[in-house]
Amino acid sequence: MGGHEDRTSGPEPDDAGEHGGWVAPGGGPVPSGPHPAAEDGPEEPAPVGARAPEGAGGRPDAPRDWWGGEEPGGARFLGAEPARQLSPRSMVVGPINQLRGLLLPIAAGLVLGGFNAWVLAATGATVVTLLVGGFVTWRTTRYEVAGDRLEIRRGLLRRSQRTIPLERVRGVDVTSTLLHRMLGVAVVRIEAAAGSAGASEDGKLDAVAAEEADRLRRVLLHRRAVLTGHAADTAGETTPGAEEVARGRAAEHDGGPRDPGDDTVTHFAMPRSWYLYGALNLGYLLTPFAVLATLFGMVQQTAGDLAADYFVDWLTNSDGRFLLVAAAVFAGVLVLLMPVFAVVSYALTHWGFTLQERDGSLVAERGLLTRRSVTLEKRRVRGYELLDSPLERVRGAVRLRAIVTGLGDTANRAVLLPIGRRTVVDAVVDRALGVYRGGLDRHPRAALYRRLTRSVGPFAVALVVFLIADVAWLAWVSGALAVLGIPLGADRYRSLGHGYDGERVSVRSGSLRRGQAMVERSAVIGWAWRQTLFQRSSSLADLQVTVGAGSGGYTAQDASLADSVAFAARVTPEMVRPFLVDSGATGTDGTEGHGNRGTRGPGHD
Amino acid sequence: MTNTPPHDADTAPEGPPEPGGGGTARLRPPLRRVSGRAIGVWTLRILFGGVLTLLLFSALAWAASSLGWAWIPAWARDNAWLLPVVYAVYVLLKVAVVPSWRYRVHRWEVSGDVIYTRAGWISRSWQLVPVNRIQTVDHTQGWLERVFDVATLEVQTASYAGSSTIEGLDTDEARRLSEELAVRAGTLRDDAT
Repeated sequence: MGGHEDRTSGPEPDDAGEHGGWVAPGGGPVPSGPHPAAEDGPEEPAPVGARAPEGAGGRPDAPRDWWGGEEPGGARFLGAEPARQLSPRSMVVGPINQLRGLLLPIAAGLVLGGFNAWVLAATGATVVTLLVGGFVTWRTTRYEVAGDRLEIRRGLLRRSQRTIPLERVRGVDVTSTLLHRMLGVAVVRIEAAAGSAGASEDGKLDAVAAEEADRLRRVLLHRRAVLTGHAADTAGETTPGAEEVARGRAAEHDGGPRDPGDDTVTHFAMPRSWYLYGALNLGYLLTPFAVLATLFGMVQQTAGDLAADYFVDWLTNSDGRFLLVAAAVFAGVLVLLMPVFAVVSYALTHWGFTLQERDGSLVAERGLLTRRSVTLEKRRVRGYELLDSPLERVRGAVRLRAIVTGLGDTANRAVLLPIGRRTVVDAVVDRALGVYRGGLDRHPRAALYRRLTRSVGPFAVALVVFLIADVAWLAWVSGALAVLGIPLGADRYRSLGHGYDGERVSVRSGSLRRGQAMVERSAVIGWAWRQTLFQRSSSLADLQVTVGAGSGGYTAQDASLADSVAFAARVTPEMVRPFLVDSGATGTDGTEGHGNRGTRGPGHD
Repeated sequence: MTNTPPHDADTAPEGPPEPGGGGTARLRPPLRRVSGRAIGVWTLRILFGGVLTLLLFSALAWAASSLGWAWIPAWARDNAWLLPVVYAVYVLLKVAVVPSWRYRVHRWEVSGDVIYTRAGWISRSWQLVPVNRIQTVDHTQGWLERVFDVATLEVQTASYAGSSTIEGLDTDEARRLSEELAVRAGTLRDDAT
């Protein structure tokens, strides 16, 4: 109820100008609270994402010259290409997306209000307002690539203009939900590094035609590559910068997309059989249960007590054996369906996965219903991570994730490849980034005992406690877990390792979720060793490779302290050498760490 | 107390010293010690924390023994006074051992445009941070530190995984060092990631 009242009064220009009135497509419904726009704000702090549908819609008597005269004049003035508008179809997409969030309050209002005239009128007014708002947004939003910057102007009464220097563009993400795709449009989100470290300011265009989204991405990335090209790795190309700029300009003047063949390299396209790997992923395997839970929840909510009563009735009236069989069959079917569901849901999100490279950026694109394309500047990629679970290891499959500086939402955005065969992933990585070719040094035997103590110890203690307390079943459980801890600990030990191939440092650990990080040598911005009392007795230490990207540090657990120091000195001699004990003095105990275990303690200084 | 490091380690140590082996790779301890007044800070910090906890434990013990709650077993009620006493002994031991031990472990050095720090007491950490990767240098002083005229220097890089700190530096030295590092970082600075 309150929903529409506010909707109709909501279109205060101030309100809408400040906050993103539109929710990212697929990004969930607009909150039905009193100030949907205000609540939406935090998700998108940058006013760039702001559109002013309602705000504009409320004041149709606003100055008209804004949308009339702007286009030719502004474009000439700025020189590069005419200012562009959003796709006219965004007039439909926006209101529909907003309506989707308002559907529930509207329905509730209609039902509770008994379909009286006032409520109907308010609903009608809301819809009209949204449509008008969509129209005004479309008319008032302009963007253009002007020289070395992207400008986005919007707003009717409260105009805003955001300027993003192209060399600060970090990535361009193109997303389109099913609705967008039906209408042939897409949302373009331009991620830009802000002045301060770590912060970023984004620009969002919701929505432009699909071809235009593609063109825009090309133009932005190409310009960016040209502007920063001499510093970046892509500078190796022979084309002089000026000429390339001219070429880029010319291409943009044509208005059409630049020739896609010139510099786009496709590193990977999803083979059909790879969708089956979805069955190896625990998250996807559990989907039937999630679906079931959702179904139960829905039934519970809609039918409530009625369904519960019916269910209890049915339970009490049915034959016990029949129920047992039914439950067993149901469980069996569910278990059988698990992989099927996993593959289907995995395929939905990873459909047609491609990894391409153009203008010094990697573009990963995927998805069947919601198609999503993420662009990562290669210059910011510091390395990569290979993740696998025991299940995936059995099939020789790994997940690939890039280690990127200043990237949020890495779980989605750093994914460069779907789950796939290790050899293929390595080949793709080699082409796209350069693969780690070295092996891994094992960690000392003492690390195995530490892993085992960790994985078995707690349960062994629990076992003893429960035996003393005489709680049989808990004792059984902890005993079983303690036994299971043995292979787990052994596997954890097996996965430990570190290595260096002259270009990249690699560190691996974990069992249930094993991760191997490969980081470029130049990205290593420090080292840290930690040694606990227990580690000291066996001269082990955790060596952390500090990196200004990804999770910030990758740790080689329980490495031999001696080896790890030598390792660090081998990777970054200039950083470690000054602090090594003079080699003359060390000649006397040129043994590995175990050798001086007995005298280690006092010798620490 | 075999783990207690020797006092006089201002030069490269002889004997089987800093962890390492494999012939060429042992870290030597950093050259510079922190200010001796840092011991006072650490001592008082342990004392304050200890006294607060001790008060809490005493209140608990008093409540357990005199309020006569039935659900507390008799043996626990009778021996409740042990809890604060044992804790007090523990705190006193800690005060006696930890600060001076820390003082022997905590060291720092800046050479070759790398900051090298060592910290901890029973667990230790060594850290190397190149100056050209420094993003910020923070110089902070809590009230306790101000009383003892020492300061903490915190050096931050682009990594999320934490920063390098030097506790208990002499205030003037900390200030000078932070300025030097900032200037040096500015001249050496590359991408810093």
